[in-house]
Amino acid sequence: MSYNPWQGQLIRLRVREPEDEPLLHRWFNDVEVTQHLSVRYPVSHRSERAFIERMSSPSFATSEFAVETLADGRLIGGAGLFDTNPENRSAMLGIAIGDKNYWNGGYGTDTMRALCRFGFDMMNLHRIQLDVYDGNDRARHVYEKIGFRVDAVRRQAVYKFGRYVDVYVMGLLEGELIGG
Amino acid sequence: MKSPYEGDRIRLRARESTDLELMYRWINDWETVQYIASRYPRSRKDEQDWLEKGDPVYGEAAFIAETLEGDRPIGWLGLHYGSPEDRCVGLGISIGEAEFRDGGYGTDIMRTVCRVAFDVMNLNRIELTVYDWNPRAIRVYEKVGFQHEGILRDGMFRAGKWHNLVLMGLLRGELK
Repeated sequence: MSYNPWQGQLIRLRVREPEDEPLLHRWFNDVEVTQHLSVRYPVSHRSERAFIERMSSPSFATSEFAVETLADGRLIGGAGLFDTNPENRSAMLGIAIGDKNYWNGGYGTDTMRALCRFGFDMMNLHRIQLDVYDGNDRARHVYEKIGFRVDAVRRQAVYKFGRYVDVYVMGLLEGELIGG
Repeated sequence: MKSPYEGDRIRLRARESTDLELMYRWINDWETVQYIASRYPRSRKDEQDWLEKGDPVYGEAAFIAETLEGDRPIGWLGLHYGSPEDRCVGLGISIGEAEFRDGGYGTDIMRTVCRVAFDVMNLNRIELTVYDWNPRAIRVYEKVGFQHEGILRDGMFRAGKWHNLVLMGLLRGELK
């Protein structure tokens, strides 16, 4: 029995396209969107275009996606798996819902579930790992809801907005995804 | 003023092309590399390239540790992937000469490289991962002040099974 591995209940994962550039550029220059991400410097149109171009063929090495709504095909964010290791069957996960109208309706959770299921079922990963900064409680709650556990706390690992922040390392193993 | 690169028993120095035969032996010795991320045999050419990457710099501060007495190289180490904004760096260390794995050499190397990280490179945090089946190393890291920050479950596949990685961190002011 097969199912669509690029699709959740609310969203679908697709490749980033050049037309996505204006929205992605706006979001990744919006501090409200990037405050809990590793983004620190402004991003140019040129580097955003180059990133989209580099990510145009998802593969085991890096699978970066655009996130769009199933209902009306609207681009609402980006998510991906990177820093993969074939022997350890591990990957890092990153996600940003850029469109603030979609911040509280289960879109982040659905995107996370779809991407993790893709990682396990299509890429044959064993472990998916992500960083979440102290203070980003909403994201942490989403990650915990779908099965991620805090594996470690890297004390003062990141400096942003004038202070050092602890970084929670969260991990999800094969078989632990809840509601996939 | 004492050199920050000198401990009680060892000093840290830059890699040299003349370290080739030594590095080639260490990196292909399973007894040595079982404790590090290394997985495949390495050629002389790979090692030569690595050695020729040159002098320690912020992004890759790699050193050879040698004894103060007799100038004998016993291991290699490095501070990698430094982020200047976060002032955070990853540390890797391996002692290639088995007879120097006890006797306080590892501890002395760790103290010295951590002091370099804080006092020379002006870092705020040093982190490392170590296999849960390497208690000798974990003891050394604890002794110099590293805190247990968590366990990366199944973080490494090796020798036919999954292993946990122990994540440890040392902040400025915590070095003992």
